[in-house]
Amino acid sequence: MAELTKEQTGKGLQVFENLKDSKLLTHLNSCVHCGLCAESCIYYLASKDDRLTPARKVDIVSSVYRRYFTVAGQIFPSLVNARNLDETTANEMVDLLFGACTMCGRCTMHCSVGVDIGYIVRTGRAMLSNMGMVPATLQSTVIAAVETGNNMGIPTEEFVATIEWMEEELIDEVQNPEAKIPLDQRGKNVLYTLNPREPKFFPLSISAMAKIFFAAGESWTLSSRMYDITNYAFFSGNKNESLLIAKRLFEETEALQAKTVVLAECGHGSRAFRWEAPNYLDRKMPFEIKTSVEVIAGYIREGKIKLDPEKIKQSVTLHDPCNLVRHGGIIQEQRYILKNFIRNFIEMNPCGTDNYCCGGGGGQLAMSEYNDRRMKIAAIKADQIKATGAKIVVTPCHNCVDQLTQISQSFKLGLQIKTLAEIVAEALIID
Amino acid sequence: MTYYQWFSILALGVCVISAAWHFIRLVRLGKPEDFSLASGKEIPAIVYSFTGAMSPAKKESAFLHLPTYSAGMIYHLGTFAAIAIFFLELAGLISQTGIFYAGAFMLLLSFGCGVGIFIKRLVKPGLRKLSSPDDYISNILVTLFQLSAAIVIMIPSTAPVYYLLAGLLALYFPLGKLKHAVYFFAARYHLGIFYGHRNVWPPKPL
Ligand code: SF4
Ligand code: SF4
Repeated sequence: MAELTKEQTGKGLQVFENLKDSKLLTHLNSCVHCGLCAESCIYYLASKDDRLTPARKVDIVSSVYRRYFTVAGQIFPSLVNARNLDETTANEMVDLLFGACTMCGRCTMHCSVGVDIGYIVRTGRAMLSNMGMVPATLQSTVIAAVETGNNMGIPTEEFVATIEWMEEELIDEVQNPEAKIPLDQRGKNVLYTLNPREPKFFPLSISAMAKIFFAAGESWTLSSRMYDITNYAFFSGNKNESLLIAKRLFEETEALQAKTVVLAECGHGSRAFRWEAPNYLDRKMPFEIKTSVEVIAGYIREGKIKLDPEKIKQSVTLHDPCNLVRHGGIIQEQRYILKNFIRNFIEMNPCGTDNYCCGGGGGQLAMSEYNDRRMKIAAIKADQIKATGAKIVVTPCHNCVDQLTQISQSFKLGLQIKTLAEIVAEALIID
Repeated sequence: MTYYQWFSILALGVCVISAAWHFIRLVRLGKPEDFSLASGKEIPAIVYSFTGAMSPAKKESAFLHLPTYSAGMIYHLGTFAAIAIFFLELAGLISQTGIFYAGAFMLLLSFGCGVGIFIKRLVKPGLRKLSSPDDYISNILVTLFQLSAAIVIMIPSTAPVYYLLAGLLALYFPLGKLKHAVYFFAARYHLGIFYGHRNVWPPKPL
């Protein structure tokens, strides 16, 4: 790579200038280099490469901070391993922070001090984004979302045609012409969002959720203008692009006067809109935001839907998406749903907030340059699934579905991978 | 007061001012604003962050590394004890009695833990690559401070060396990772807020 320009370095360091964030300041100064976080990270566990430990990822970001913003780092850089932000450091940052971290946050929970390692990685990614060093593959996904309104660049006509087709399928399946997939309707209770991989490759997952809404008698709509729940700029670290994407969904919800935005099964999208968007927008949201997992659990609790326990005969395990569980507190609901109708449900070990990342998070699935490494670390998840003996893996995240499907193929596990809505729709009792 | 006592007191002043500066800076910045609607409670999560979440039952860094975790705990307790000895020694309250000898024994144990941690850092390649000179210097200063605290209890005439080491340690505090004495508490606090706000902590049964 060419030498960094002064402007690039300056933009990278902007992240630390006039630091007003006590949380960032804290975590930049907290690591004691004990190295005890190594075994909590799938990258280290699968490779035993000590360059890929969480501590090294924290250190490369905080070493740059120390160099320019601490007295010791300015006067005695080698004493505290303070590094210049030059091309060597920047390239290493790209490899470690984009190429060797899914921002799963597992290490944070187990750090001996309590360093929010994922937050430091995000800060490092923001630096690289300011410097124009986001991997091209990830950036092209962000650009597609910014320019077309969805990360797969699906034209509106194609989307509308897919929805109409799914509506016909749904009507056929439930034998009821009232089973609609409403588009762009105002004043509904729910505005439902999608991961663009659904209309593009897996439209049946749209009709699965539509079937659940129909069975529950929900008043809902999709938007043809803004349905994309993903926000890959959250992964690239670009705050302006994250804001732009989040603002579109915010404005569409306002325009359609929906009471609740229901987030499709997408871990990072849920996190980006539920937890981060209010901070991008600098305001509290005037509407409710719920994940589809909470909504489905609510329907069961309130007796709005009923599930047939005889329907799914195979053993089922659950993969907890990191962003939904560790970063979103959705931990019990998916279990409540599955235990309601799955006879043979087996937990992975570890699970819940300790679950291992599938390896596809943090934008990894979008960054093909790291495919080999991504599939190498997937061995941890493959072993975890194998140990359960389950034939079906359910996960409330489309991104995880993609990675788990690849895991099943690469490691010859012969699994069925389903979203929660898909397995619930299968067992749904329609009166 | 002797010159070496004055030296250590002045150095301690530098250390306290530095720690206070870091602490006040964090307090003045305050808790970061979060516009997202909380789904959990922050206070119980902060309490959990400082208690249950630190236990070996919950933390891999502890239960996968029990010898290191135990050594680290003893080492930190030893540091607090050595600081207490500093004030007692300054006030002339140290005596060659059973309780102080017990304290000296504990400090020697903690010194041993410090040496063990130092050796581990030196011999484990992954840890060595992660380490900066500051990691070694911080360890050496704290470990020697503990040793000298143990010795000064048993041999009062070694007080000049003890005060000198205490002073050096205090003077070094602002430069390196010893500052985690302040940031550790801030990190646990922020972690508690983060996980409490999102209803991740305190953990609930699955
Ligand atoms: S466990 Fe925490 S403090 Fe220790 S090296 Fe890892 S990030 Fe740093
Ligand atoms: S966030 Fe996950 S992938 Fe990244 S360093 Fe931590 S454990 Fe590893």
